[in-house]
Amino acid sequence: MGDEEIHALNDVTIKINEGDFTSIVGASGSGKSTMMNIIGLLDLPSEGAYILDGVNTTAMSDDELSHYRNQKIGFIFQSFHLLPKSSALKNVEMPMQYASAYNSSLTDEKIRTMALETLEKVGLGSRVHHLPNELSGGQRQRVAIARALVNNPKILLADEPTGALDSKTSEEILNLFEELNKQGVTVIIVTHDHNVANRCKRILRMTDGLVNEEKR
Amino acid sequence: MILRKILVNSFEALVENKLRSMLTMLGMIIGVSAVILLVSVGTGAKRYITNEFESLGTNMILIQPGRTDKETAMGPPVSSSKGKLLLSDVEALKRYATSLSAVSGVMFGAGTVKNEAGTNNINILGSNDEFVKIFNMVIIQGTYITKEDEDSGKRVVVLGYNVKKNLFGETLALGRLVKINDSEHRVIGIVKPTGDKMGFNVDDMVFVPTKSALRLFNTDRLFGIRAAAKSRNGLDDAVKDMTEILKERHNGEEDFTIITQVTMLESMNTILNMLTYALGAIALISMLVGGIGIMNIMLVSVTERTKEIGIRRAVGARRSDILKQFIIEAVVISVTGGLIGILISIVITYTLFFFLPGFDMRPPFWIIPPAFFLSFFTGLGFGVWPARKAAHIQTIDALRYE
Repeated sequence: MGDEEIHALNDVTIKINEGDFTSIVGASGSGKSTMMNIIGLLDLPSEGAYILDGVNTTAMSDDELSHYRNQKIGFIFQSFHLLPKSSALKNVEMPMQYASAYNSSLTDEKIRTMALETLEKVGLGSRVHHLPNELSGGQRQRVAIARALVNNPKILLADEPTGALDSKTSEEILNLFEELNKQGVTVIIVTHDHNVANRCKRILRMTDGLVNEEKR
Repeated sequence: MILRKILVNSFEALVENKLRSMLTMLGMIIGVSAVILLVSVGTGAKRYITNEFESLGTNMILIQPGRTDKETAMGPPVSSSKGKLLLSDVEALKRYATSLSAVSGVMFGAGTVKNEAGTNNINILGSNDEFVKIFNMVIIQGTYITKEDEDSGKRVVVLGYNVKKNLFGETLALGRLVKINDSEHRVIGIVKPTGDKMGFNVDDMVFVPTKSALRLFNTDRLFGIRAAAKSRNGLDDAVKDMTEILKERHNGEEDFTIITQVTMLESMNTILNMLTYALGAIALISMLVGGIGIMNIMLVSVTERTKEIGIRRAVGARRSDILKQFIIEAVVISVTGGLIGILISIVITYTLFFFLPGFDMRPPFWIIPPAFFLSFFTGLGFGVWPARKAAHIQTIDALRYE
């Protein structure tokens, strides 16, 4: 307690390449969440640098970070984090509406078309007007994936994406990730589930703020 | 996000939370209605009083004995001992003030009038034959006091309508005798029922010649002089004439006060405008309460939607986007409430006017834009703090918030 600084991450250097399918595993308290927050531009490292898509993000303002999150990162959460009172379509449209502030070619019609296309892509083309609570867990996670994908981000960053799903649905979601990765999307999955981690091409294991790459 | 989209989103959020939105709006609805209704009562009262006043005739001039330095609508107190007006003053005005169309001295006091049917406590007004012209009085039976009656101070009386009914019922009163303060007077006319006029009910009064009234009250001092200018434009000249004539007769001293209906109306309007503003100011308090209600609900809403804020920030909303979203929601609530309030107050006043045409409290048109902007700025003002709170929630914490 007091003035002592606690470093959640310590002397960590990792490099994730475009097109990688990486998992970050570790017990709770291993620094996994901090790593994810930094990768997702939700948090800034107190020391060191995070270079995303060739740009050093360390000195960015809050607005620039928001813009970068919008353009480069697609978040997927364990409990989906959909807006409960908005339809699947509205949820998927949301990131593009924030993007339209920077990109005037994003008209309402274009946003709608792209959201519908993306929902189609994750296999939810028939349920676009349903509210989240009218969808199953797997369907909700598909909506979340569509929302993450809709701005064509550099990274799909998933935090325990199958943590709230049964094994069959988990399998379907992981298959979807794999397929997206094959299409060229960089996927990072943060998990403590070995079965999930083993599906990835790379595994980064975290212990007490340190990272080791598991040889496969 | 573009303003238009945030607006659409805010409307959607309001519809999604119907009950809460309605309750929040209620404060604003009541606030705006109160502002409009109270201002309408003020302007309605002003309109009513002005109309009443003008129906008395607009060329009327009042002269009261005594002088006050302060400019008041009603002149010096009646009991003022300084200066006196006499019948000879009335005679002089009649002779020399050419800008006047009518002049009458007035004597005024309480008394009783009785006959075998009963006794009435009434106000007695002494005046000459020209008084009817000054006050636009209408005689329905017989005549008013004539010049001859006045000159010789005859014991004749003109009865107000209620007095006539009380004493004579439906039977003929003309030519009959009544006792006014135990002195017998002959009835020569009946005044048309007119009801209350500026707290001065002609129906409950009796009218006698000035000289008879002075005799009844045993004095030579007039209560005042009433006159009418030939035209409204001639009012100022008439006042000048009268002041000169009376000053000369009073040893150069201006120991009287001249009030015209125009100046009376002006000071009356000042008072009524003050009343309207005061009522409006009182209503502003309910606006304030409505605004605090909005702030309260918005603070609750921010806490309730912490997770939503986290999600929006994660997918790329800037602090300013969140700020705008919550301010606009507050403004949409208050402006919607304001518009409903405007509508309700219009419906209420027009319905009242429809059923009670004498009770015209329809709001003046000028109040609507300020009422609208008031609700707009209340929403803006009271929405800022909750919105700032929302914008400064840490994204990581917000995403974890359950």
